[in-house]
Amino acid sequence: MSHDYLLLTLFLAIAIVFPLVPLALAWLWARFLSPSKPGKDKQSIYECGIESKGPARIQFQAHYYLYALVFLVFDVETVFLLPFAAMGFVKISVPSFLAIMVFLLLLVESLVWAWAKGVLEWK
Amino acid sequence: MLTATLLSTFLGIALICLLPSRFGGAAKWIALLSALTGFGFAVAAFQGYDMRPGVYPIQSIINLPWVEKIGIGFITGADGISLILLLLTGIIAITGILFSWNVTHQPRAFFALFLTIIFGVYGVFQSLDLFLLFVFYEIVIIPKYFLISIWGSTNREYGAMKLTIYSVAGSALILLGLLGIYVLAPEATFNLLSLAKYKFPVAFQLWAFPVMFLGFGILGGLWPFHTWAPTGHVAAPTAVSMLLAGVVMKLGSYGALRVAMTLFPLGLDYWRMPVAILATVGLLYGALVALAQRDLKFVVGYSSINHMGFVMLGLVTLNTLGLSGAVLQMFSHGIIGGLLFAVVGRMLYDRTHTRDISQLGGMGLTKALPFAALTFTVASAASMGLPGFSGFIAEISILLGTWKAFPVLLIFTMLGVVITVAFTLRALQRTFFPAHNADAPTAETAHEPFDPITLPERLGALILMTATVGVGLFPKILLDPILRSFESPQSLMHHLIQGVAK
Amino acid sequence: MNSTLLLLKFLAPESILADTALLVLIAGLVKSTASSRNVLLSLTLLGGLTAGACLLYFPDNVNFFHGMVVLDPLTRLVKLAILILSLVTAVFAAGSSVREHFAEYLALILFSTIGMMLLAGTEDLLMIFIALEMTSIPLYILTGYLKKSSASAEAALKYFLVGGVSAAFLLFGLSLIYGVTGCTALQDLAKVPPATFRDPLFLAGVVMAMAGFGFKVAAVPFHLWAPDVYEGAPTPSAALIASGSKVAGFLILAKLLTYGLAKAGGSAVWGAMQPGWLPVLGLIAAASIIVGNLAALSQSNVKRILAYSAIAQSGYMLLGLMAADKTGLSSVLFYVIVYALTTLGAFGVCAIVEQRRGGSQLHHFEGLHQSAPGLALCMGVFMISLAGIPPLAGFFGKFYLFAGALGSVATKDGHMGLLWLLIIAIAFNAVSLYYYLIVLKHVFVIPSSAEPAPRSPRSATGTLVGLLAIAIFALGIYPGLLLDPIHNAVKTATWFAAKAAAIATSAAQPKTLQGTTK
Repeated sequence: MSHDYLLLTLFLAIAIVFPLVPLALAWLWARFLSPSKPGKDKQSIYECGIESKGPARIQFQAHYYLYALVFLVFDVETVFLLPFAAMGFVKISVPSFLAIMVFLLLLVESLVWAWAKGVLEWK
Repeated sequence: MLTATLLSTFLGIALICLLPSRFGGAAKWIALLSALTGFGFAVAAFQGYDMRPGVYPIQSIINLPWVEKIGIGFITGADGISLILLLLTGIIAITGILFSWNVTHQPRAFFALFLTIIFGVYGVFQSLDLFLLFVFYEIVIIPKYFLISIWGSTNREYGAMKLTIYSVAGSALILLGLLGIYVLAPEATFNLLSLAKYKFPVAFQLWAFPVMFLGFGILGGLWPFHTWAPTGHVAAPTAVSMLLAGVVMKLGSYGALRVAMTLFPLGLDYWRMPVAILATVGLLYGALVALAQRDLKFVVGYSSINHMGFVMLGLVTLNTLGLSGAVLQMFSHGIIGGLLFAVVGRMLYDRTHTRDISQLGGMGLTKALPFAALTFTVASAASMGLPGFSGFIAEISILLGTWKAFPVLLIFTMLGVVITVAFTLRALQRTFFPAHNADAPTAETAHEPFDPITLPERLGALILMTATVGVGLFPKILLDPILRSFESPQSLMHHLIQGVAK
Repeated sequence: MNSTLLLLKFLAPESILADTALLVLIAGLVKSTASSRNVLLSLTLLGGLTAGACLLYFPDNVNFFHGMVVLDPLTRLVKLAILILSLVTAVFAAGSSVREHFAEYLALILFSTIGMMLLAGTEDLLMIFIALEMTSIPLYILTGYLKKSSASAEAALKYFLVGGVSAAFLLFGLSLIYGVTGCTALQDLAKVPPATFRDPLFLAGVVMAMAGFGFKVAAVPFHLWAPDVYEGAPTPSAALIASGSKVAGFLILAKLLTYGLAKAGGSAVWGAMQPGWLPVLGLIAAASIIVGNLAALSQSNVKRILAYSAIAQSGYMLLGLMAADKTGLSSVLFYVIVYALTTLGAFGVCAIVEQRRGGSQLHHFEGLHQSAPGLALCMGVFMISLAGIPPLAGFFGKFYLFAGALGSVATKDGHMGLLWLLIIAIAFNAVSLYYYLIVLKHVFVIPSSAEPAPRSPRSATGTLVGLLAIAIFALGIYPGLLLDPIHNAVKTATWFAAKAAAIATSAAQPKTLQGTTK
């Protein structure tokens, strides 16, 4: 057992060390070699070059959550469609085609429902 | 014939429930009719009881399948003891309804619940299937709660809840024993006739007997689990007190006899003495506490404990005298308890609105309600065990039985008898024949004239008084069937009088 | 026949329910009015009845995919019961305070029902988990349906969090079982050599799986969600949680324990306990009975009382499960169905009282016997049946449960190993009468202090409540009505033959109840 996991342990160690080393070096450089000269423009928040104004906290729009939810559902649908697509149209029998169409139609219905209920509108 | 008692009661309940609310007054007539027919069937069954030697003592057996896979059947039948108690139920049912003639608040519900209790009681006394017996036993519990908490008087909600919880606790103990019986029997059945032939393992009997006897004894007023009785009796309306003291407490002693003592003779042998001691203590305790009461209904309530103590004592004497005395005392106290509660509750409390003995004494009741005075005197005489009333035969048999079985306890029992006389006379004298001049009521107790005793009350009281005097003068009518049930060699309980040889 | 079509034929009830749910969703896109709600309800009922017909119309016994989908008389019976319970819940929902998004409410009920039916018809660990999640997730949403009620939101959050954690436990436990034994089908699990069952990893897996199921049936110590959920959720949702999911939960627990893990039982006999799931079940049952009954004594909300009583009743049912033979399974099924009907009725009464009086605290029930005597009588029937008083069905069910449990380990010379548990059960059953009577005291005895409301017109909910009360009464007088079908169904369960061999290895020689092994 020690043999099998030795490699993995080594890998784990390297994986931890590898990103930490540059960070550690940068920190050391900043501490010892670069002077600390804070300035008003240097410390201000970056906002694509514009002058930032207003508080940093804004209210999170709940609609993002709804979009994420709907996205998730269709994303999983895509994942399920992948093997079906990979098989190519030639080798599929009628019942399995029907099965996948039913699956698709179920999800289309859910889209119709979400659309009609106003989930997709931004209010 | 026996099932007809159940059917007529059930029909009464159904008819009352179907009455529209305008005709609430008709409920009592339907109830009375149902009670009379039920009693009629019970009398017919009693007349039809064949007491020739050689005939199987349990008769009119009906055996219908109910839940066959479990072994539960609708099995009913009666021997002498059951028939006598069925008669008692009929009498108490009729008189209870007569004494409730003045119920105006929701009469349909009252009489339907009353008849449900009667239904359950009839069922217990004729069941030969243990499951069926337990079903009927429990049917009695819930109507009691509602009757007391809706139509009762002093402290009714507390009294109702206490009574119900105690009853259910007793039933829980019985259920435990019942499950044990069912599981250990050689075949899956609840038929008492088959189960009685089986010898249950000793280890089982040693704990099952006290558990079941105690379970039934709680309802039968066994000391120290009797505390529900005085509170409950006092809180209950008159008819329900009559039922409780008259019949429901007998369910407990009947169950103890029919189930616990029949099925567990070895356990009985082991636990005989402790039960006898508890019964004697209860007897004395009930009498002593009754002696100190100021509330007349509490006196009567504790006298029930006293009389039931006699029953329990008689049951464990295990000789013919004691056992037959115990059964006769069940009947006798049923009538007498009913009579006492009827006077205190219906005749006195409904008119005077007090049960305090000293207050009642000042009201000149002997002049105002002579019939009540007469009835209470007769009831007190019967309760004390004077010859000529049913209580005498019963108590003397029990006392002789105790002398044969537990001579030492006889001293305390006799003491109990003396104290019974004391408290009964005290209650009677102070209520109706107080020391000071009762002819002219004093200024502070002056009152309007009471309503006269109505016809239903007179009828009810007459029925009860006739019953107790009749049995007192001709005990043979009842003693013959009772003795047959114990002495017939085919009887399930024959082993009880032989000394525990099983 | 092509196996896909065969599968479709035997899964027709679930498919039809799914179609109905989707149809209801689409149909619900029109404006929601009272009449449109009735249309949706009719659609649901139609679909449900068709599904039920399909269930009865194809009576063959099948076993798909090595136990993933199993159809035999037992699963058919339980699926039918679940279907009836959820249709009754749908009718309750129509008369309740859920007005907006009503189509979604019905669709969620149907989705949850599909999950319950799949749960009842499976004998594979993976499918158990999938079906359990499919049951639970709609129930979480149904609990939080009243958006304006903070109690509803709190209930949903608690239910979801506790449910999520227990699902995690369940999955981990099932995967441990799989890891040790290498099989996911119960029929394979039953053939595993008993030596594997001593493996600590396996025992850990079993305990975790039981934790997951314990949550579903609201057993102590996994019961903390129940009072808040029963109280805060809209009444039809609580009714469904209390009835349908319990029925499915108990059947699958019974299957898992008595079929898959039959030989891992151990023994819960006092003084001779052996490691396995029987002692664990015994402890959980005892704890549920004690905690459920004691906690209910001080409640003032009727729905909370029903929740704690549900916990206690789960305890009794787990006790019956400990019999682990045909009698035990029959008694558990009988009692869980009777209990589901009773609770459904009680929640129906609560729903009506909530509509008329605005709440379901005890004082809202006062004077019910004057304003709605029929309803009051029904509530009386339900409470007394729950308390186990004859002649109602609840008494017979409890009696049968206790007899089965006691009889499974009793020996000829009078030693009854499970007596300790029976004593606890019977004692606390007597205690429980107190709080049921308190509810009835408010219904029958205490006169109403509020203005007497005019008699409301009869509603579908009220009629159903009445029918349920009549059913409970009828089953009490003649339990054979339900007991015989259950007995016949349980007879076909082939897995109990293994029990005799398993028992022979333990010390005591149990006595089987001859009347029931016919």
